[in-house]
Amino acid sequence: MLFELLVYPGIIFIILTAVLYSGIMRKIAARMQNRIGPPIYQVFYDIIKLTGKENIRPKQAKPGFTLFPAIALASALIAGILIPVYAPIISFTGDYIAIIYFLLFSSVAVFMSGYASSNNLAVTGAIRGIVLIFAYELSFIISIIVPILAFSLTSIQSFDTWLIAYYPLAALSMFIAMLAKVEIPPFHIPNAHQELVGGYSVEFTGRRLALIELTTIVKTFVLILLMVTLYLGGAQNIFILTIKSLAVLFALTLSRVLFARLRIEQALRFYWIFALIAAIDLIRVL
Amino acid sequence: MNDDTCYTLPLGPQHPALVEPEYLNIHLDGETIVNVDINIGFMHRGIEKALQQRTYQQDRFLIEKICGICSSIHTLTYCNAVEKLLDVDIPERAKYIRMIVAEFERLHSHMLWVGIAGYEIGFDTVFQMAWRDRELVMELLEDLSGNRVSYSMNTIGGVRRDISKDMAKKIRTTMDKIDSRLHHYINVFVNDSTITKRTKGTGILKQEDAKRYSAIGPLARASGISCDLRKKAPYLLYDTVDFKEITHDTDDVESRAIVRLKELLESTKIIRQCLHLMQKGELTIKVPETVPEGETISRGEAPRGEIFYYVRSDGTDRPYRVKINTPTLANIHPLQSMLKGQQLADLPIIVASIDPCFSCTDRVTLIDTKTGISKTVDETYLQKLKR
Repeated sequence: MLFELLVYPGIIFIILTAVLYSGIMRKIAARMQNRIGPPIYQVFYDIIKLTGKENIRPKQAKPGFTLFPAIALASALIAGILIPVYAPIISFTGDYIAIIYFLLFSSVAVFMSGYASSNNLAVTGAIRGIVLIFAYELSFIISIIVPILAFSLTSIQSFDTWLIAYYPLAALSMFIAMLAKVEIPPFHIPNAHQELVGGYSVEFTGRRLALIELTTIVKTFVLILLMVTLYLGGAQNIFILTIKSLAVLFALTLSRVLFARLRIEQALRFYWIFALIAAIDLIRVL
Repeated sequence: MNDDTCYTLPLGPQHPALVEPEYLNIHLDGETIVNVDINIGFMHRGIEKALQQRTYQQDRFLIEKICGICSSIHTLTYCNAVEKLLDVDIPERAKYIRMIVAEFERLHSHMLWVGIAGYEIGFDTVFQMAWRDRELVMELLEDLSGNRVSYSMNTIGGVRRDISKDMAKKIRTTMDKIDSRLHHYINVFVNDSTITKRTKGTGILKQEDAKRYSAIGPLARASGISCDLRKKAPYLLYDTVDFKEITHDTDDVESRAIVRLKELLESTKIIRQCLHLMQKGELTIKVPETVPEGETISRGEAPRGEIFYYVRSDGTDRPYRVKINTPTLANIHPLQSMLKGQQLADLPIIVASIDPCFSCTDRVTLIDTKTGISKTVDETYLQKLKR
């Protein structure tokens, strides 16, 4: 139990694989853009290097500047261990609500840390992020509760059947909400560095920045796991898990290289219209 | 919209959306831009003064360093001016080679812009692809002149390097490749839905506004103003080649992209015709080192718009005065009207849509730190400083 929780398929597995996947994503994106790209383990180097860098706290920083990045990563990891990849590690009634909550809180904590840095650029990025949450969260919730309601479950579990065939709209809805949750183009609006320099993370350095970067990386992997567990027929062993999760990663990378960034109000309109369409699947299971 | 809800964001002097230092202070109400203060002057290099201290031939190399992208058109216009003062006519072959290099420059400059435009709207793939295709032209320039930037092709009295038969053949095949890529990019900018979502209807510059701010170059042509110097006041042998002046009248960022890309199709056309029309002959004629007394102006169509040179000679081997006017200085003012009322998210692409080249633009500005009033330096003030 403790081994499963902490090592495999728990926290350490999630962190290491997430970082590796992030590197793979960069490499695939680079090849698609006709670049060579960094080595796959580059993200490990980046994060290790960041932990050794100077940890600057700006004078105007509000309380929570240090705390929120840590909370963000912790929330993403908790959501990760609640997902029953092979079998549930921890399971309780209504744990799917906990997953929704922790993933949401992870995003909110990142934006709050941007807000706490009291920089106009960071605050603008954080506000955009919060607005974006209002956009995508509905689609995301629909996509999680559709399988739960369809089988009248009380807690989340791995599905052997390919639910994507039965509820394609809900599956698509999860994929699209994923893009905004981890800020993949066309929804990399909160940290649009052409407008906002670094967005919410502009004031962060060293270990705090490493935590924020790691949060996004871990969240990406956790969401991939969720997608595999709920819609892609689950994973019986590590081999199947690798293939299925890499397929989702590839789809995410495609989105990353194929689209320009939308404006915030365009993203909002897109998600609300899409949530309406995804609701068709919700009505079907009710 | 009152002052309480407004806040300001700095764009620059150091900023990921800008390659060169420039400072735009943006007043925002939520995500909407209320006003923009444009502050230039971070890159003033005193080039005009330095030009007076060097000989005409030495000036050529300094003038080339004014801009890394449009270095050839600067020397071209300068050489045209000095040749006018010397009252010499350069060989025809030299004129065609000058035109070819100038069009190469337009090709790689606009391809660079296409990449930047993709980058500014968060579309990195366009950025990477456009810059890869730009390499085709860069390689040609390297083969032709030995350098990727600062080609040193123009000299007073002609050009320094010839285009061989093999080179001409290579240029022709590369132009075909570039043409097919350009058609692809035009298709992308007109049809790709995420790109048109960001470029259609953003950064509107109405024709009357463009005239009022005296915008030039592709920016003005995208607002339906015909202002191509190659047509309006042909220099070199632009009147012997057949090409169209591209204008478009939707006034937005997309319009500017289309004007630039279609202009390149004309450029490849010009290059092919130049290669065809070129006769064997001399590359340079001998010119004296001292230039007779007099003054003249010379204009050229740079990738970004009109470039203007005023050269005055006092009969020695050094110019008495060289005054340079670059296109971005004219095009930076319309930004005020283009940015007002736009979204913050569109700021980078609108600023990029004028294809700014800030280090060409910078002029001296004095700012009184006590009152905050800024003023530019005029000649009488400079005379006073002289001891």
